[in-house]
Amino acid sequence: MRLDIAYRLHFTYAEPVSESQNEIRVRPRDDLRQQVLSYRLTTTPATRVLQTRDYFGTTVDHLGIRGPHDDLLVVAEASVETSPTGRAPAPVSCERLGDQQFVNQHVEYLAPSQHVQWGELVDEVASWAVRGAADDVCERVLAVAQAVPTVLAYERGSTSIGVTLEELIDGGRGVCQDFAHLAVGMLRCIGIPARYVSGYLFALDETRLDEGPDDGGPAAGDGASHGGAEADGNSPSLSEDVFAPEPAPVASPTAISVQTHAWIEAAVPGHGWQALDPTNGGSVSERHVVIGYGRDYNDVPPVRGVFNGAADAKVDAEVIIAQPTAPASMVTEPIRRQARVAVSPSMDTAAQQQAAQQQQQ
Amino acid sequence: MAELRRSDADQLAYDEAFDRDGNVRPLYAAIVERFSNFDAAELRRREGIIEEEFRRQGITFTVYGDSQGTERTWPMDLFPRLIAATEWQEIERGLAQRVTALNRFLADIYTGEGAAMADGVVPAWLVQSSDGFERNAFGVSVPHDAHCVIAGIDLVRDAEGQYRVLEDNLRNPSGISYVIENRAAMTRAFPRVWEDHTVEPVGQYGRMLRTALESVAPTGAGEKPLIVILTPGIYNSAYFEHAFLAREMGVELVEGPDLVVDEHVVYLRTIEGLVPVDVIYRRIDDTFLDPVSFRPDSTLGVPGLLGAMRAGTVTVCNAVGNGVADDKAIHPYVTDLIRYYLGEEPILPNVETYVMWEPDQREAAFARLDELVIKPVGESGGYGIVIGRNATDEELANARAEIEADPRNWVVQEVVELSTLASMCDDVLEPRHLDLRPFVITGERTQVFPGGLTRVAMRKGSLIVNSSQGGGSKDTWVLAPQGDAQADSRSPASPGTGR
Repeated sequence: MRLDIAYRLHFTYAEPVSESQNEIRVRPRDDLRQQVLSYRLTTTPATRVLQTRDYFGTTVDHLGIRGPHDDLLVVAEASVETSPTGRAPAPVSCERLGDQQFVNQHVEYLAPSQHVQWGELVDEVASWAVRGAADDVCERVLAVAQAVPTVLAYERGSTSIGVTLEELIDGGRGVCQDFAHLAVGMLRCIGIPARYVSGYLFALDETRLDEGPDDGGPAAGDGASHGGAEADGNSPSLSEDVFAPEPAPVASPTAISVQTHAWIEAAVPGHGWQALDPTNGGSVSERHVVIGYGRDYNDVPPVRGVFNGAADAKVDAEVIIAQPTAPASMVTEPIRRQARVAVSPSMDTAAQQQAAQQQQQ
Repeated sequence: MAELRRSDADQLAYDEAFDRDGNVRPLYAAIVERFSNFDAAELRRREGIIEEEFRRQGITFTVYGDSQGTERTWPMDLFPRLIAATEWQEIERGLAQRVTALNRFLADIYTGEGAAMADGVVPAWLVQSSDGFERNAFGVSVPHDAHCVIAGIDLVRDAEGQYRVLEDNLRNPSGISYVIENRAAMTRAFPRVWEDHTVEPVGQYGRMLRTALESVAPTGAGEKPLIVILTPGIYNSAYFEHAFLAREMGVELVEGPDLVVDEHVVYLRTIEGLVPVDVIYRRIDDTFLDPVSFRPDSTLGVPGLLGAMRAGTVTVCNAVGNGVADDKAIHPYVTDLIRYYLGEEPILPNVETYVMWEPDQREAAFARLDELVIKPVGESGGYGIVIGRNATDEELANARAEIEADPRNWVVQEVVELSTLASMCDDVLEPRHLDLRPFVITGERTQVFPGGLTRVAMRKGSLIVNSSQGGGSKDTWVLAPQGDAQADSRSPASPGTGR
């Protein structure tokens, strides 16, 4: 499936700021299942963008604006061709998870990580999730992915980066990152290596839809940090799910919901990584576009950065995914099925304080 | 005269100054003779000079977790430690060999193919699970592969007098300033002690380090690369050393906010405007370097620094991620790394170390835990160490349970009866255990700085030499090779710092 993705990130500041430095991870990954046909990132004001690849193979765009500026616009445009995912592998006995070589190969994805720490409660939930499952790793992975939505209710805006998995379960709600983190934690604690995937979902409207975009005006005071969720990590995330078409909900069959999204991959002995989407019922399709993966959110945040200046900042992230229709001869102007959405991180008081601390002096 | 006690006849440890029959070793004959002419009051007077020298200059160190204030004057014992020229040459070769291999290992991990892991010399999972493995350093290359420009390697001498490597310090080893200041204090307290010896000078450290730092400047830097020392600030326990090194090298001492990144180039803010920086000798930890890529709450670092490193416009020394190679769990593999990368037999052996994730080694260690030393891999400064023979049964049982729960994070070592040397304790010169931290500098090539920091456990029988645990230090003399001109510029009165 050919998809055109535009990721538009707009920082606006109440008064001029300076020395903004950012890492952006929004370029789709090249792998066997998807091919990036083009990618371009531009900024206003213009600046030299340095592109590198990180340890996990994710493309990183480094960019900074030193002089005073009132706003910073980052636009990343990608065209990507995805192919359908393979079939689930034949049953694999759970005994093979204990194979020392397998364990050693996946040590990074079995150990707790910054946002994936677990205790007894996660243990219990994980055992409960796989209680009736056969001696098959794939079945267990699916059981976990399907159990997560019974533990967490999807609730837009209930971002929980920095909340422990225990608190997440207690709270009973979250967004896609939380679904992914909980699934990863449950899998790791039953000995199945799991990793966090950041990407885009070109979702039809039968998937979860929301009431509509925010007004785009986040709480005052969320300056200083652009989305980095680390340390105590109450910071907002810009990769929050974005839902709902704009300007108005579209009722026609072409209506599309667009989002930056998070899902997971689990390692199955002898079969490599299997992708699952705990937020959307389990399966991953050619509508899922991978940006990258890591031990958790912290290894693949779409954006993180800092700036120097007043704490009042407004961040708008907008993702537009379109499926160009072919062939072009049928219409003079290619019909683009597309949706626009706005996202703005919501922040609680603690997050604001955290952000304030991140402000560079 | 002051009493100069021999070691007890049943002492297991090697004594640096006296042989097992109580005869003074030839190396120490002259210094023992000289000290024999001082009475206790005279030694106390000179001890006072040394203490005053350090107090006047504000040379202190910090003891963490000490209830009574934390700043203490740097403790230097007045009886020097001597190393013969031939002995030193061997140490020098061994250290250069080891640090060369460790730099190869770091380059292999971060910018190479991971060959040592692929070939099974070091398990890949061990590297990936190391707290010192810094994924942000991946792909950041360093000129000459000098990931570790300044290494401090801790050596001990076993009962046979054999030097062994106890630990590698490849991140931010501190202590070189004390080496130089110890020499200055010694010269002040014993101005005539140099008459009997030709000692390798230590005053050239600043020049040596500066040359190495210049040599790792990025291609594109000018004739005279701009070098800065990046310090966390005055509250850091090693701030004295940061300021000292800046002065010795003639470079700027800066804090994070003094630097700014613009389009992937690091600049120093000066009253004349921005000046591009070529090399940063940083004395702050990896995770504080850049709030964009590491800890966002760090105000010590420089936003965008990692991008600049990746762009190749600046070199940061020591490189990011060196902690993986001085992980105590990696230490047992270093001798194999020397064989693997250099095709040579290691010159300096390790202290025998057992890894707890290998069932055979673990069981063997458990069977005689009360004879061994148990170390948590994530601690430094002597914290958390259990010495089997001094531990209660309960302490040993606890250690065992902790090892079983998390074998990756413990190593167990043979006890080394650290060598002893006369040290001033209550008006008497008595043998005390000591170690040696030489400093190894890598730029275009790897060089060993003569001598190093000798640390001494001032409590009788104690094997813990860390200054944070009540240890002292000694001026350390590497004697010049025999046959050198005795009357060159070093003697009689200029082996000091030259300041």
